Amino acid sequence: MIWRVLLLFILLFIDAAHADDVLHLYNWNNYIPAQTIARFEASCACRVVQDYYSDNEEMLAKLAAGASGYDLIVPTGNAVESLIRQGALRPLDKNLLPNLHNIDPAYLNAAFDPSNRYSVPYAYTLTLIGYNREKIRELDLTTDSWAIIFEPIYLKKLKGRVTVLDSQRELLAAALKYLGYSVNDVDEVHWKQARDLIIRAKPYWAAFNASSYIKELTVGNIWLVHGYSNDIFQADLDAQKANRKFRIVSSIPKEGAVMALDSMVLQKTGSHPDLSHRFINFMLDGRNSAELTNLIGSGNPNRDALQYIRPEISQNPAVFPNRAQQVRLEMLHDLNRHQRRILSRIWTQIKLK
Amino acid sequence: MTDSGHKHTRAARLAKYLMGGPPLLFLLLLFAVPSVIMVLASFRYPGEFGGLAPLTAADPNTLQGVTLETYQFFFSDLIYIKVFIKSFFMALATTLICLIMAYPLALLIALSPKKNRNLMVLMVILPFASNFLIRVYAWMIILGPQSVLSQLVNNFLHLFGNAPVHLLFSPFAVLIAMVYVHLPFMVLPLYSNLEKHDPSLLDAAQDLGANGWQRFWRVTFPLSLPGIFSGSALVFIPVLGMFAIPDILGGTGDMLIGNLIKEQFIGTRDWPFGSTLSIMLTIAVLLIAWLAAKLGGHRGHYA
Amino acid sequence: MHRGPRLWAAALAVYAFLYVPIAIIIAYSFNDSRLNAEWVGFTWHWYKVLLHDHDMLVAAGNSLFIALVSSLVATVLGTMAGIAIQRYNFTLLNFMVLMPVAMPEILLGVSLLLFFIQVLNLTLGMLSIVLAHITFSIGFVAVIVRARLAGLDESIFEAARDLGASPWETFRYVTFPLILPGVIAGGLMAFTLSIDDFVITFFTAGVGLSTLPLHIYSMIKIAVTPEVNAISTLLILLTLTMIALASKFTSNALLKKP
Repeated sequence: MIWRVLLLFILLFIDAAHADDVLHLYNWNNYIPAQTIARFEASCACRVVQDYYSDNEEMLAKLAAGASGYDLIVPTGNAVESLIRQGALRPLDKNLLPNLHNIDPAYLNAAFDPSNRYSVPYAYTLTLIGYNREKIRELDLTTDSWAIIFEPIYLKKLKGRVTVLDSQRELLAAALKYLGYSVNDVDEVHWKQARDLIIRAKPYWAAFNASSYIKELTVGNIWLVHGYSNDIFQADLDAQKANRKFRIVSSIPKEGAVMALDSMVLQKTGSHPDLSHRFINFMLDGRNSAELTNLIGSGNPNRDALQYIRPEISQNPAVFPNRAQQVRLEMLHDLNRHQRRILSRIWTQIKLK
Repeated sequence: MTDSGHKHTRAARLAKYLMGGPPLLFLLLLFAVPSVIMVLASFRYPGEFGGLAPLTAADPNTLQGVTLETYQFFFSDLIYIKVFIKSFFMALATTLICLIMAYPLALLIALSPKKNRNLMVLMVILPFASNFLIRVYAWMIILGPQSVLSQLVNNFLHLFGNAPVHLLFSPFAVLIAMVYVHLPFMVLPLYSNLEKHDPSLLDAAQDLGANGWQRFWRVTFPLSLPGIFSGSALVFIPVLGMFAIPDILGGTGDMLIGNLIKEQFIGTRDWPFGSTLSIMLTIAVLLIAWLAAKLGGHRGHYA
Repeated sequence: MHRGPRLWAAALAVYAFLYVPIAIIIAYSFNDSRLNAEWVGFTWHWYKVLLHDHDMLVAAGNSLFIALVSSLVATVLGTMAGIAIQRYNFTLLNFMVLMPVAMPEILLGVSLLLFFIQVLNLTLGMLSIVLAHITFSIGFVAVIVRARLAGLDESIFEAARDLGASPWETFRYVTFPLILPGVIAGGLMAFTLSIDDFVITFFTAGVGLSTLPLHIYSMIKIAVTPEVNAISTLLILLTLTMIALASKFTSNALLKKP
């Protein structure tokens, strides 16, 4: 009897997976508002099925392992570059994207995809310093430099209250920036300097963390993070909602930081190119694009969207950096296989020290 | 355990293959073949974008063919051996703690009236009904700085003038979650073994004047060694390959082999080196399993 | 040996260790705080959110389906393997059964992925996950069944043979009833292992198909809300019911011995 009930229960779910037109979207978790999806589904009489990843490398690894059939993916620039060079993407038909003119030209023609043959900017995030404003004020520290993440003289006051991203590329990039190099420097000597800098600071950090630092910031356990702008924004929203007596704010270090421009691309093996173009065009509409920024506090490359974005977000320099700040931002490039292997070993040395 | 009667030999062989054939075929196809592919992958170059570089390519400038470079890379730096040693000690600590915690429980269940035993065993398995990640997440709540436990510990430390400690994001957090997640794997084989002990042996020991502890150390414990060894193997091995717990609860130094292997496939996209690390791990695991089987099997022949 | 108070105390402490985190998960599913760090107040909110989270429900349905199918198949294959190993000394099979258990999960996941894609040319999805789960579950069932068999008195089987029972009759009327508790324990273990599995599923899941652990992992990457506690609580209740029923049927079956 119970088995029969269970079977019916299961069939119910399997049945729900059937629909005529399904758009397979491979996206970051929480990177599109549910109401936006619902509106698109209503307009196209189709269904959007999402799979999520939490890291570009994870997504690339899954695609390299043969995952296919996604219509749309939303990778960061360096991952777009990798996918283009692999020949995994389908060129865009710009005639189907009349809303493309909404994108700020500053975000077009990026080095990873000149003339945007394959990619359309979706949103961007910065990797910067986020902190508990009241605590940092109390401790009389300044947050305008990566020094606060790497220098023991400042970290002494913050022992066990700091997390850094559990990402080889991001942490190395911050260290390289602090040392005055480019985030894309691939000189092994510079990498080793960065490694030693990280190892020296490590005893003061609570964790390498790419996930739960949002919550730890909100709760007040962690006071300073090396993290993503949208996560820090989220932490602040949560802290306000929970009536905490502090604010979570962020700053772009004067040495510079990493900017990640996420773009929509079509996987070659996807079976709905027309529907995918409609989706991209839909997301290029200012109103739809703004919805994302209002939800998660991501940067928005869409000029038409700005008018719909809540002012406290559009005026936040850590979400929408000004021209002077933009100059100090760099996008990561992809590493080759040899560099990836060396970086992995350096990372292991960092973790084990 | 071999069949003696001649007339049964043929029927027994038939039964052996009727019983063992289907699972064997299944595992040959879904385990042996993929493993061979994995071993072969360790001798290849990594593909530029992940995966494997081609064995043969038309362009002579493309990296192709087979190589021993991943093995050279592995031994070129002591760091990888260190990760193995670290993981080994984590697994050892987890296994010992699991054993100490599981034994009294398994013994109590085995000694309980038969009608209660199934329920008591179920109560060990039930926590498994919640998702693994959730059980790990529960420890984030329990060990967090705001938790009752953290405050108790730190108040206690404060009494003796010690600085406060962070329970979360530490090797301690990793260890406690490792124990929590793997404990049932120790309880079940132990119980399975203890339950079938013949009570008359203990009665005999008592008649010979042995007290409670003597009866335990001289009779129950030696007889339970096979259960201990199979339980230890069931705990030790998954801990050795675990990556999620250090990922979620670990601090800045908690990297185990599992994390390293996962990183090769999910981060660095270096499949050949990931395969090499996995093969090294498999060798280590095989040695341990062999040891456990040998010890367990040796002591197990008391029938 | 007596069930003395010290033994009871130690065992109860271990039960507490097993259940306090579960109790916290359940309690916090009613916590009126998105952050879930401290207790704020009681709410049903997260269950309502859950009812409307289509992705989560589909993922949960997928997980249940995969666990049911894979544990059923693994129980049959694993029991056969356990018997063949213990009763007929099938050493090769013993090796093959233990290896997937001994392997780091991630290695099994990736080697299976390579195999599915490159050799079978199989589109990743329900089938690949189920096959992967069966592969790692067989060993656990076999180990438990074997442990059960190892504890049985060999003379019972000899007696059955001497009385003229065929191998099938010996199995049907002697072996099987005796190992049934082991089979059920193994099956339940296979079910929980499947429902729980994250690593292997991660590598063998395809486009548009998510399981509960995959979904939860994605959520943890951002921030877990009590919604995850809520689905977990429901899953615990469901498994509880299933196990209660299963054990009821078993004890009935065991009591009605001919």
